[in-house]
Amino acid sequence: MMVDITAPVLDNHQVGPRLHLMTLSAPEIASSIKPGQFVHMQIPGMEGHILRRPFSVYATYVSEGTVEILYQVVGFGSERMTKLAPGDEVAPKLIGPVGHGWAAPEKCERALLVGGGVGAAPLYLLFEQLVAAGVDVTVVLGAQTEAALVCRERYARVLSTAGCCAENAPLCATDDGTFGRAGFCTSLVDDAVSEANASGKPFDYLAVCGPEPLMKIVSGQAAQANIPCQVSMEKRMACGVGACLSCVVETVHGKKRSCVDGPVFDAQEVAW
Amino acid sequence: MAAKTPRETSVNLVVNLGGLTMKNPVTTASGTFAAGMEYSDFVDVSALGAVTTKGVSLNGWEGNASPRIAEVPSGMLNSIGLQNPGVVHLKSEELPWLREQGAATIVNVSGHSFDEYVQVIEALEDAPVDAYEVNISCPNVDAGGMTLGTHVPSVEKVVSLCREATSRPLIVKLTPNVTDITEIARAAEASGADAISLINTLLGMAIDVKRRRPVLARVVGGFSGPAVKPVALRMVWQCSKTVSVPILGMGGVTTGTDAVEFMLAGATAVAVGTANFMNPQATVDVIDGIIDYCEEQGVNDVNDLIGALEC
Repeated sequence: MMVDITAPVLDNHQVGPRLHLMTLSAPEIASSIKPGQFVHMQIPGMEGHILRRPFSVYATYVSEGTVEILYQVVGFGSERMTKLAPGDEVAPKLIGPVGHGWAAPEKCERALLVGGGVGAAPLYLLFEQLVAAGVDVTVVLGAQTEAALVCRERYARVLSTAGCCAENAPLCATDDGTFGRAGFCTSLVDDAVSEANASGKPFDYLAVCGPEPLMKIVSGQAAQANIPCQVSMEKRMACGVGACLSCVVETVHGKKRSCVDGPVFDAQEVAW
Repeated sequence: MAAKTPRETSVNLVVNLGGLTMKNPVTTASGTFAAGMEYSDFVDVSALGAVTTKGVSLNGWEGNASPRIAEVPSGMLNSIGLQNPGVVHLKSEELPWLREQGAATIVNVSGHSFDEYVQVIEALEDAPVDAYEVNISCPNVDAGGMTLGTHVPSVEKVVSLCREATSRPLIVKLTPNVTDITEIARAAEASGADAISLINTLLGMAIDVKRRRPVLARVVGGFSGPAVKPVALRMVWQCSKTVSVPILGMGGVTTGTDAVEFMLAGATAVAVGTANFMNPQATVDVIDGIIDYCEEQGVNDVNDLIGALEC
């Protein structure tokens, strides 16, 4: 069941280069959204721009009735979002929860989550869910530079108390080498997979979210290692409810809607 | 949140669109509402004057490459390309669902050839359909669509063939991408249309200057949304002075006030399209807005608004 609700802004501040974190009051969505689902936001104060924007939810706080959205400023809509503040006369509206989210195999014991850039955020609810279920989780994060690794500490906090057998912190790579390994995070994926195989406890689930080229490469790495892999596809969207067919993804079963058939797809289903 | 229904009123909202009785003058613009299922969390589809379904062809079409949409000032461009799973799927899935909901149903019929339009209608004659809307105006396909709707002899031929294929109410949807839309409206009426609907989208384009490439993969696409309303109103007004069949008006209808403008210009009913993407309850909000206007103005029968423009 989807709703369209008014969601007042409670907090909205910059957390990194062109990266901002918004907290919204949205109890109906906080209590019902599943990892990987998204909300479709009408941003107030930009009526000439008529379309809503889809955003993954970073974290939820059910008792407070709030959701967090991590967003990157890429155009007019996200630029306008940075101007929203608590107490604004008109609040954003959210359609949600939308779509099919992450679905780890039932007997998943060891998972690898790979987040590129803001793609680290849509994996966080899944991460929390897997850790709570006792799954051994390894996290790989990639970003352009250290300041853009804005989700790292939150993952690290949970990992340090989760008792996972891998490192107690996310494995990180930055393009400019300011933090972690220099270069793309895909080499960390190779290493993590090799180490897990060598340890006798290989990964049985891989989830990746980020730029499409990254997801394509990681899907290939997963296929090579025989690990079930899921990706989260984001396309230009109009309705956000499955009606307009704007956001189709090419799959081996033909065109599918990223909004409601996805956004999470099995990597093998996507026609890369 | 329950699906929204229009508020109670003593105003008569029932209109007759060329033999199709609508409980209120609001339907959906084809292609913006699928067959209603996707919007059923938000609005009670049976409370609409009708649901107009996404264009259907005989065997299903894949549609165009992505990107398929672009946002432009107060509107959008689309080049979906009539992606649909074909008439058999519509008959087995969507139409029974709409009937179960109690929704009046207008099926938008598309084709790549004269024959295909007829075959689609023939395939639907035993299905729960209340009216057909013949789409001779889609700008996003290479054959059929708009290429038919800009040429009087083609309009006459396709409308006559469809007319022979059914006795159900036949609505013909016109493209605005012509020099004189009244000429096309007259041809549709003379060939047996029970009503005309207008406007389909205006052919448009958007460019990404950084990449020096078109935003849409197909380069050009259909322009819709609030920005096109003045053009649509003008064409509805022109056609209403030219033909005597009723008009289903559309193009940027977002509020009850917009709907009233179309009715004053001569439309018997209106379709809500792009506004569904902005507000998933737009259809019912438009009905409520029409009720508000009628009650405030002391109008007891919504039919009194049709063509009531003073000029």
